[in-house]
Amino acid sequence: MIERLFVAGLSHRTAPIAVREQLVVDEDKLREILADLTGRGTCAEVMIVSTCNRVEVYGVAEVAGEARGAAFRLMGAHRGIGLPTLEPLLYSMDGAEAVHHAFRVASSLDSMVLGEPQILGQVKDAFALAQSCRTVGPVLHSLMSQAFAVAKRVRSDTEVGRHAVSVSFAAVELARKIFDGLDGRSVLLVGAGEMGELAARHFQDHGTLPVFVANRTAGRAQALARDLAGTAVPFEDLFSVMGQVDIVITSTAAGEVIVPAGEVARILPGRRGRPLFFIDISVPRNVDPAVNDLENVFVYDVDDLRSVVEANLRERKRQAQQAESLVEREVAKFADRLRSLEVVPTIVSLREKLEEIRKAELGRTLARLPGADEETRQALEALSQGIVNKILHAPTVKLRDSSKAGHGHRWIEVISELFGLGGKSRGGPAA
Amino acid sequence: MNAVVFDIALTAYIVAAAAALASLVWRRDGLSRLGRELTVGGWLCHTAAIVLRGLELRRAPVLTLAEVVSLVIWLAVLLDLLVERRYGVSTLSAFILPVVLALGLGLPTGLRDLALEPRAGSAWILVHVALVLVGLSALVLNFGSAIMYLLQERQLKARRPGTFYYRMPSLETLDRLTLMTLTAAFPFLTVGLALGFVRAGRAWGRDLVGDPLALFSLVMWLVYAATLSGRVIGHWRGRRAAYFSIAGFCVLLATLGAGVLFQGRHGS
Repeated sequence: MIERLFVAGLSHRTAPIAVREQLVVDEDKLREILADLTGRGTCAEVMIVSTCNRVEVYGVAEVAGEARGAAFRLMGAHRGIGLPTLEPLLYSMDGAEAVHHAFRVASSLDSMVLGEPQILGQVKDAFALAQSCRTVGPVLHSLMSQAFAVAKRVRSDTEVGRHAVSVSFAAVELARKIFDGLDGRSVLLVGAGEMGELAARHFQDHGTLPVFVANRTAGRAQALARDLAGTAVPFEDLFSVMGQVDIVITSTAAGEVIVPAGEVARILPGRRGRPLFFIDISVPRNVDPAVNDLENVFVYDVDDLRSVVEANLRERKRQAQQAESLVEREVAKFADRLRSLEVVPTIVSLREKLEEIRKAELGRTLARLPGADEETRQALEALSQGIVNKILHAPTVKLRDSSKAGHGHRWIEVISELFGLGGKSRGGPAA
Repeated sequence: MNAVVFDIALTAYIVAAAAALASLVWRRDGLSRLGRELTVGGWLCHTAAIVLRGLELRRAPVLTLAEVVSLVIWLAVLLDLLVERRYGVSTLSAFILPVVLALGLGLPTGLRDLALEPRAGSAWILVHVALVLVGLSALVLNFGSAIMYLLQERQLKARRPGTFYYRMPSLETLDRLTLMTLTAAFPFLTVGLALGFVRAGRAWGRDLVGDPLALFSLVMWLVYAATLSGRVIGHWRGRRAAYFSIAGFCVLLATLGAGVLFQGRHGS
């Protein structure tokens, strides 16, 4: 049944935003589409992942191409985009390739920003929606629970999701490379720029003490200090406060240097060698670049932070190779398991069939032996069970082995024909 | 027998050092695990080699310069493993093991037969040697963490994350480690050397002045004393303190070299 699993869709890799935004549909519409696809029997199982970066249909169908056409016709119809427009942008995969794709998407290896954490939640939501519409069967269920497990492993075992990819979070990470933890560190925020405020909030989220806020306009400093639950300090005391704190964020519209190297050099002896970290988010810069040359002082401006972010993205890509091979191993394991599942219904109905025969024959025999004592009855019961088990053994083993070798479906047919199992066994649990 | 086991230990250290360096450059956790396992394995072999040597020679294996260096390595590797575990600084061994190897590989050629005044193998000598070697092994860690500090500081000052950036601990952690190892080493070194000087002054008289190992030891002690007082009194932190630690270690290596090249009373 893994052969009938398919995924079809478009993503930031294949389709421009202009097309992707046309396919955004609300939850109610998605429910309708899911119901439509299963209701008409196009898909045995189906779920739709719809985010701003990808629209993908995962499903189980006899004819994948038909299901794919139907799904995107329905989604496009919403905004009046015809299937011919969408067709060239669509990719589709089936079987083990579809499993591979699902694992990569959930692990954020196919994301625009490699390793971003939101996609896993979005796939989980899509799965939950399909579950509530009862369009999830055993194949999608096992596919998705495995995809979530793989995503979790990729997150914990590789560094794909580590290392900041935003400027303000990169500042926090850098501080961690300078200081031995951020708990109890003090931060001075100079100026009222939005970026500065954001960075200050990030630091507070990571355990620093309430910020000191300095601004040329005292009222503005007080308002911002209130917002951040910090303390406003007079702008004249800038350098004496700077002598006490660990991290200084400057984000003013001054348009000039307000932290000259000379002033910083003067406060250094009082700091007794404690490191001082400047994050200069203002453009033009507020901190004299020469400050970085002072001992135990580090200055990062916006460009520096951006280049750290770029390096971090490169590092994520390096680590992605490890994640890719982890995913590949998991796909192989999963495909094996799925194949072994496909023979289960045949084995079950074979057992049921023989059990039915056994019970009927046993009943008939016992009816003809009214004088049989309990011991005889038990012996007959055991005898018949023994015969059934012996007969079942060889075909069961054959089915399991052939499924591992990848041609289980052939033996399913043979055994169904031989034992007259009828249509019941053909479909597998998906049907 | 002990020589064979020692060679096995040394080989394990070599591969461990390569794995630790590779894990730093390629950022692979598997390599760093392999490095740690090999280090532990090597250290166990090394322990066996020291015990075997003591049993074979029927004396404490601390009386030749080779034996002392071997024990310094043994203790330094042990300290490295303990510090890595305690502070989660998994990259430390990438800097400690190469130093340890440089010392260890120096052994077979020059140092193996050099005996340290075997006749004077009294309790005094044993205490002197034991204290000095505890101090020296902590100083190996001091050197390693100082190098790490300078590398990480350079990357942070350059504002471009380089090869080592992602795996190295924070500057403060490294600075604390440098201070801690120096503070731990210094009392041992001081008492150990003082014992040696007092004892040798009595036994050798004026010959003490001409003994190169004794002379270099004094210089080494002075450099480390200056570093420690700079840190405590002058509040040196970071780069300056790291440079002094490295200078101290250079004198330490020169001291060992002097012990080999010019055999004074120590090696008679």
